[in-house]
Amino acid sequence: MNESHQEKPIEDHEVVSWKRKLIWSWVFTIPIALLMLSERLFGYAIVEMPYSIIITLILGFPVLFIFGFDTIKSGLQGLFTFYFNMDSLIALGTLVAYLTGIFSFTGFVTDYSGVSAMIMAFFTTGKYVESKARGRASSEIKKLLELGAKKSIVIRNSKEIEISIEEVVIGDVMIVKPGEKIPTDGVVVKGGSSVDESMVTGESLPIDKLKGSNVIGATINQDGILYVKATKIGKDTFLAHIINLVEETQSSKIPIQKLADKITSVFVPIILVLSILTFVNWWLLFGNLSKAIGVGVAVLVIACPCALGLATPTALMVGSGMGAKRGILIRKGEAIQTMKEIKTIVFDKTGTITKGKPEVTDIFSKVKESYLLQVVASLEKLSEHPIAHAIVSKAGLSKYLKVTSFSIVRGKGIIGKIENKEFVVGNRALMNDRRINYSDFEIEIEKYETLGKTVMIIAEGKKVIGLIAVADAVKEESVEAIAKLNSQGYRTVMLTGDNEKTAKAIAEQVGIKEVIANVLPEDKAKKVEELQKDGMVVFIGDGINDAPALKQSNVGIAMGTGTDIAIESGDIVLANGSLLGVVQAINLSKATFRKIKQNLFWAFAYNIVAIPLAVLGLLHPIIAEIAMALSSISVVTNANLLRRSKID
Amino acid sequence: MKKLKLSIEGMHCASCASNIERSLKKVSGVKEVSVSIMLKKGTVEVEDGVDIEEIKKAVAKVGYKVVKVE
Repeated sequence: MNESHQEKPIEDHEVVSWKRKLIWSWVFTIPIALLMLSERLFGYAIVEMPYSIIITLILGFPVLFIFGFDTIKSGLQGLFTFYFNMDSLIALGTLVAYLTGIFSFTGFVTDYSGVSAMIMAFFTTGKYVESKARGRASSEIKKLLELGAKKSIVIRNSKEIEISIEEVVIGDVMIVKPGEKIPTDGVVVKGGSSVDESMVTGESLPIDKLKGSNVIGATINQDGILYVKATKIGKDTFLAHIINLVEETQSSKIPIQKLADKITSVFVPIILVLSILTFVNWWLLFGNLSKAIGVGVAVLVIACPCALGLATPTALMVGSGMGAKRGILIRKGEAIQTMKEIKTIVFDKTGTITKGKPEVTDIFSKVKESYLLQVVASLEKLSEHPIAHAIVSKAGLSKYLKVTSFSIVRGKGIIGKIENKEFVVGNRALMNDRRINYSDFEIEIEKYETLGKTVMIIAEGKKVIGLIAVADAVKEESVEAIAKLNSQGYRTVMLTGDNEKTAKAIAEQVGIKEVIANVLPEDKAKKVEELQKDGMVVFIGDGINDAPALKQSNVGIAMGTGTDIAIESGDIVLANGSLLGVVQAINLSKATFRKIKQNLFWAFAYNIVAIPLAVLGLLHPIIAEIAMALSSISVVTNANLLRRSKID
Repeated sequence: MKKLKLSIEGMHCASCASNIERSLKKVSGVKEVSVSIMLKKGTVEVEDGVDIEEIKKAVAKVGYKVVKVE
């Protein structure tokens, strides 16, 4: 991937450049510090005045104007264009202090020039540590960016050639040897193997891949050779989508951040004014120009918009990185804040709690079973519904009957004609609509339903000729996940188009207490809205059929399935289909939000306490600078500590 | 309307990000702006017909450099 090649040097470049500035600044600043402190440390001055001032000015020059050049330049540019930044404060503070050294020869002011070099040296040190910590905060995301394969072996003109990933085109057949990365998304055309998809979906167990299986680019082939036909390249791949999602999170704003952002944007000009007022006041009140300058400089350098500005993005970065590692993609930062208000968790049944791959378990027929299956399979062949697939694959017909008319009744079933006979296949609602009497079958139907099976009633004309029961097995992790959510005090609800009995049986299996059954697909959003009257709702669904309900809910969690992640809907997307991801997503959101609050609290508290101290002249400028550097470092470090919280 | 992703060089503090946002918002035709110091990237939603050079200039004006536009 092109992007990753460029991304990395930019980040590293920042750390490296601060490191260089830091080392050189101290090489010149340490002698200055010794000069300044020699009287206190050793009882005598190494160099007498005024020579010590001259030496300090000479040694301090490169610290400010060579190693601190970028900071001074950007700061002054900010001052002149009225786009003030952090550097404006540092530039002004150090320049004023440096100038006192020169003007000290006039006798009006005491020399502060040593302070200017020390401020710059501590500033670069702080920036170096902070930029490193920021790099650490984004380490998971960076790993994700660098995950893509660089090269691929493809077959062209019956020859195997190695090409770079950018040259792969859709339709290329790629050869992936054991231990190698699958270059891009595709479908297996030959061979078989198991593939480790943990890096993109968080699924820890390798997945078996055979001819016809979809594979994801950047996942690792374990033991066999795979011939994979490329189906998606570049920006369209699964990995590219994930990276996009993660970046989207970073650029989405969280409501709690708004105040901090507003303050950050007006912070520097306010401090500039405050510093001038402080300086003027001290000068007028006490008539001591030197002290007034010192206090003014302290106010400039203690103020730190960085701690405020970094509080949210760093915590969000660490949080989304932790999520991405587990296949949890937080798409909207706002979801993190909303999550703590959630009272109710609503699950769609099919494909969310269950595997979404129903199988025919029972056939109850008044006619010849093979005839029943032949008729139903021929009709269902025309439907896309998962139950239809189950029946078609159960029948395994080599030849289908000719269907002359066909219609789907959404959420109810299908109606079609074969050899001029009308067949109705569907649930009770459909039979009632068509005035078909199925009371003779009621006992059988209920028997299947109490076992959690979905029953299709088959009628020829107005006469019921049989039943087909279909069961959709519950995902292994569903029970554990729902037990965890119940124990955390959430109200868990299952929403389904299935009938009450089937739904209740499934709900009981997984430990959900409330069931809302017989909900037509288009009514799911309405039901969510009703539930919202009792508190905020998370809705968990497949993202395609459930898009309106996902949107209606306060936090929508879309379940990805295999190679397809429903990215258009859902505030959070789970790359693997496990419900345990929901538990993690909820815990992660809460932990991240707690971290953001902590960070904002400390950043605000720091400024609220430190600025008045500086105004009152209680802080030496150097101490002020050290405190400032520590405040932004502590915020970023605290964000990195988010990794310690238990979210599984 | 289209969305542009800018890779921006030279950001080193939170006020940098907010300055770039402020400057970009002044470009006519720019709707939504969000700059992330963590990613060193900005996202801008612009109306069709907005000159990319104008966007780059707005970033340069406050002292930073757009190195890539997607």
